[in-house]
Amino acid sequence: MRTSFVFSEVVTGLRRNVTMTIAMILTTAISLGLLGGGLLVVRMVDKMQANYAGKLEVAVMLTNDVSTNDKDCASDPCKGLRSELDQTSGVESVVFENRDKGFERFKKIFEAQPELLKLARPEAIPATFRVKLEDPERTDIIKTAFSGKPGVKSVDDQGKFLERFFEGLNGLRDIVLILALVQAFAALLLISNTIQVSAFTRRTEVGIMRLVGATRWYTQLPFLIEAVVAGIIGSIAAVAGLVLAKAFFIDRITRNLTESGIIPPIGYLDILLVSPWLFLVAIMISATTGYVTLRLYVRL
Amino acid sequence: MIRLEHVSKVYKTSTRPALDDVSVEMDKGEFVFLIGPSGSGKSTFLRLLLREEVPTRGRVYVSNFDVAKMSRRRVPRLRQSIGCVFQDFRLLPSKTVAENVAFALEVIGKPKNTIVKVVPEVLQLVGLDGKADRFPTELSGGEQQRVAIARAFVNRPLVLIADEPTGNLDPDTSQDIMLLLERINRTGTTVIMATHDHSIVDSMRRRVVELSFGKVVRDDARGVYGVGR
Repeated sequence: MRTSFVFSEVVTGLRRNVTMTIAMILTTAISLGLLGGGLLVVRMVDKMQANYAGKLEVAVMLTNDVSTNDKDCASDPCKGLRSELDQTSGVESVVFENRDKGFERFKKIFEAQPELLKLARPEAIPATFRVKLEDPERTDIIKTAFSGKPGVKSVDDQGKFLERFFEGLNGLRDIVLILALVQAFAALLLISNTIQVSAFTRRTEVGIMRLVGATRWYTQLPFLIEAVVAGIIGSIAAVAGLVLAKAFFIDRITRNLTESGIIPPIGYLDILLVSPWLFLVAIMISATTGYVTLRLYVRL
Repeated sequence: MIRLEHVSKVYKTSTRPALDDVSVEMDKGEFVFLIGPSGSGKSTFLRLLLREEVPTRGRVYVSNFDVAKMSRRRVPRLRQSIGCVFQDFRLLPSKTVAENVAFALEVIGKPKNTIVKVVPEVLQLVGLDGKADRFPTELSGGEQQRVAIARAFVNRPLVLIADEPTGNLDPDTSQDIMLLLERINRTGTTVIMATHDHSIVDSMRRRVVELSFGKVVRDDARGVYGVGR
């Protein structure tokens, strides 16, 4: 009895303010969608960090002269550099990659862009020592020790590049989360407003309820549930939005990057794992806003 | 049953008290007219009983409730033992007669089988059997007031408060409503009716409490509306 009564009240309430309800659901959905997007970026960065942690290398690139003449690293300065690298403390392994191998690798990475490959010449690729460190953070040891040595063209620290890339991703995450916050604020005001309007349109009913001795829970619960239901619908829409965005948009623009393994793809599993948080946030925000509104602005 | 002890009520926006040191007692099963001109304090009196207002001074008792002192959480219990009828009926236009009456029980959490049983009974008592499925707009004023009375009485309250229940009705219809209120009174329910209608007061010959400027100026056991009117 009780529940069926409360729910029929909720349905009439939502129906009566259709436009407000839709606005409330849409703002909630957009806010939660952005929040979900932010959380997905966070997951992506975590995954990338885990992916790259074991693979980070310092590339010691050799001069053109060495690259052309010493294909097997058989003579100095290449030979000397190799043994010096091997003896440096903190170095886990050193792999020599001559110009041909380097070009092979280059071709593989840029498989997807044939026009780029057409332009590339093996002469542009230097022979390289790929140095793996025990602690990937300590790249500066190699950099300071080997930059400028005879035969060394440059020391390239992948970590630094990656750091900048992560910075970019984190910036993206922050922007998305700030937008989510702004939208959440708008959603909050809309929820509060909708409840007030809803309470006003039903003031006769509520007046009678109070008069015949309905408890406060009985008079207020329909309004509260109304807000929470709208929140839940909003979060369902947000999750649907994320799935659609992945299927039709994100997958397409990130295909090259994910196929070449630079960034991990966003899977449906990621969205599935993020969505409970969206539901939780939706329920918490709508319930608290509803409760506070009823307490402060609506005399029931 | 109902007892007011030295009750005063001063509204913040007014310098003159709406009720000024009022002490009245009403017994179980009494029928009491509350009369007096507009602004004499009738509405404040009734609102105090319902705890729509809290007195500035003095104490209010309804049945076992210490109305002025009770916690907010117990207010619904008090209101469940008081039925209310108003001049403007206050029915829900989107609900049928039966639904309007059932609403009062639904919102206090009565079980469905009780509602199904009790609502037709009370509709018969107020003479509306056969009109259960009509909407308020399809009824005459007198019939609408009967629905309101049915709703106020369906939970068998100890007290029925009627605030000018005949104010919108013609004399004949008013007489019918008075007969109905009398019938309800005979079931043991205390009826307190605020009114301006002297012909009704005169014809009923019941207890009359007259208020003027917030004071009780008359309390007759078998009164008329007023001398010289």
